[in-house]
Amino acid sequence: MHFSLNPEFGNRMVTLMAALVLVLQLAMTAQRWLVTNIRIFGLQSFLLAAIAATIGVFNNSPHLLAAAGLTLGVKAILVPILLERLVARIEIRQEIEPLLNAPVSVLIGGGLTLIGYIVAASFNRPDQVPGAAGLGHNTLAVAISLFLIGFFTMINRRKALMQVLGLLSLENGVFLATISLTYGVPLMVEVGIFFDVLVGVMVLGILIYRIRETFESMDVSRLRRLRG
Amino acid sequence: MILAALLLIPLVAALLSWFARAPRAMEKINVAAFAAIFVLALILAAQVLGSGPVSLWDSFLYADQISALVILLTAFVALFCAVYAVGYFREDERAGNLSEEGGSGDSAARKLRQYYTLTPLFVFSMLLVTTANNLGVMWVAIEATTLTSVFLITFYRKVTSLEAGWKYAMIGGVGLAMALLGTVLMYYSGYMLMGLDTLTSLNWSMLVDRAGQLDKTTMRLAFILVLLGYGTKAGLAPMHTWKPDAYSEAPVPAAAMLSTATMNCAIYGLVRFYILASRCLGAEFPGGLLLFFGVLSMGIAAPFILVQGNFRRLLAYSSIDHAGIMVTALGAGGALGALGLMLHMVFHTVTKTLLFFCAGNVYQHFQTDLFRRIKSGVIRSMPVTGTVFLMATLAVVGMPPFSLFQSEFIVLRAVFAGGHYLVIVLFILFALGIFAGALIHIGSMILGPAGESPAVPWYPWRDTSVIALAAILIVIGFWLPAPLLALIRGAANVVTGGL
Repeated sequence: MHFSLNPEFGNRMVTLMAALVLVLQLAMTAQRWLVTNIRIFGLQSFLLAAIAATIGVFNNSPHLLAAAGLTLGVKAILVPILLERLVARIEIRQEIEPLLNAPVSVLIGGGLTLIGYIVAASFNRPDQVPGAAGLGHNTLAVAISLFLIGFFTMINRRKALMQVLGLLSLENGVFLATISLTYGVPLMVEVGIFFDVLVGVMVLGILIYRIRETFESMDVSRLRRLRG
Repeated sequence: MILAALLLIPLVAALLSWFARAPRAMEKINVAAFAAIFVLALILAAQVLGSGPVSLWDSFLYADQISALVILLTAFVALFCAVYAVGYFREDERAGNLSEEGGSGDSAARKLRQYYTLTPLFVFSMLLVTTANNLGVMWVAIEATTLTSVFLITFYRKVTSLEAGWKYAMIGGVGLAMALLGTVLMYYSGYMLMGLDTLTSLNWSMLVDRAGQLDKTTMRLAFILVLLGYGTKAGLAPMHTWKPDAYSEAPVPAAAMLSTATMNCAIYGLVRFYILASRCLGAEFPGGLLLFFGVLSMGIAAPFILVQGNFRRLLAYSSIDHAGIMVTALGAGGALGALGLMLHMVFHTVTKTLLFFCAGNVYQHFQTDLFRRIKSGVIRSMPVTGTVFLMATLAVVGMPPFSLFQSEFIVLRAVFAGGHYLVIVLFILFALGIFAGALIHIGSMILGPAGESPAVPWYPWRDTSVIALAAILIVIGFWLPAPLLALIRGAANVVTGGL
């Protein structure tokens, strides 16, 4: 296995996976089927876990491996299962028309990616460290793009569940930023964040279920009784 | 030790309430737990006053004067709300507001169990916000205050309360994601400096000593993100839209806690980051941003209060206004600004809790929170509530005999000392608008000819808490206990770094 611990190889792996993460995020803005979107999110989280694991192996950092395990368990497996069960229970599969159609959404997603790269390029970073210690620093642009596109998804989609997915992918962006900048946050904080994400998904799931029971719809744009 | 006990008691209370069968037992558990927490908060304040910051578990938990003050306020509000809630929910139960119309949902007992279990958890997360030394843990705790209070807002399961809960969860979620990114950037700047991959490089007590050496670009971006994030939680304009909905849909004791204790926690988070940012960048950059959002919040609140038709929403806009005043005080900077902020936080907490209690009494009696339905003459059918409501309204708009006038005056002096003359003009303009709006609406509801509603009997739980709080409000207008004043000054000193 020694040949694979060549930092150059690791760097290519990480860059490739980060690119795939970004592609999945763009796909989510265009995809209308709820179940497909949940699986896209699961796959994206799986890739993030793989990125964290790769950097962890190359830098011999057990802490990053733990973060990768948490991502895999919570965001790539548990959250998609919970959301798919919710979709089965509320018996809605297809998204109604988003505010903007798919081509325009993808174009805006592309524009936001560009902004992400500009922000990341202007961002003050310590000198590029060659070798394993510099691994993954180039993913900051992807992280910022994920954050922005997730935000856009939340505004563009009217289905409650899609807004939750937007919020979750936005959080994925923050997670990638922690890996890229500081190789993760302290484990204690990491565990707390994952706990909050899990509880948050459950709380929002229950809320969606109740909204569905009451409104016979998940269209959040109908939630407009409270004004002024 | 005392910090651990503070955090342990609400958790135990939540567990006990979950397994208790009778609503009466849950009431007792909650009141007893919050009384114990209040006593502990007093002891903690005394300790901090006597011998400086307290820390525990390798300074994982850390409480200085600011923490002790905010903990004291949280415990104070939680205790009063627990007592008030007993009367409030018994009345709800009697009026049949807790049983579902369709009959398919939860019974009254299950709803009450939800309330009495979630409330201690909610208070636990607020206490964790103020005792956590690590800024990441503080973020986790602030997120937890949102998660534990969503179902308090949707308590009545009405269409409108689900809408309010959804907005609260989503807007809060996005805001806190920004705050998390800001916290990560703060960690990054600490990490570059110290190169430690351990828990301590996000510890506030550690960062504050080295704030001058932190990377300035990163700090700027981090402060902007955290201001947007925790500002959303505090209800600063333009991220305030969830606030009127949440406060008018939540049960009144929960709304009172949200608008005082939770808002204090969000402001507390901002203060912690402001201290780091001002040591690193100087006071101008964070101060200017804070002044902008503060004045904007006051400006958004004023017109909505002037045209408001619902008194619980009016109270929410008043909270947005006061969040704006506190942030303005912080942004004005200097010893005067910090003192004004801490005083204002104390006075606002007492006044707004009292206002929500009065609004709850009126709401439960008339079964509506619309001015046009109640019309006038509340004071004739509800003499105690009516009188106190009017008095508290005068206090909240900043009339002279009451304490909020003093703190607003100090804030204005701080702004003047900073030379922000435009802010002063706008501050006074918006304060006048809010003064007129709130007083006209609430005054004409309370005074005037009586409607046809019958006189109200004496409700022991609710009326005693209203009268006790009203007495406190009058007293603090003229006299603050010396230890409390020392604590407030100590908290202000932490902000300015003892200048």
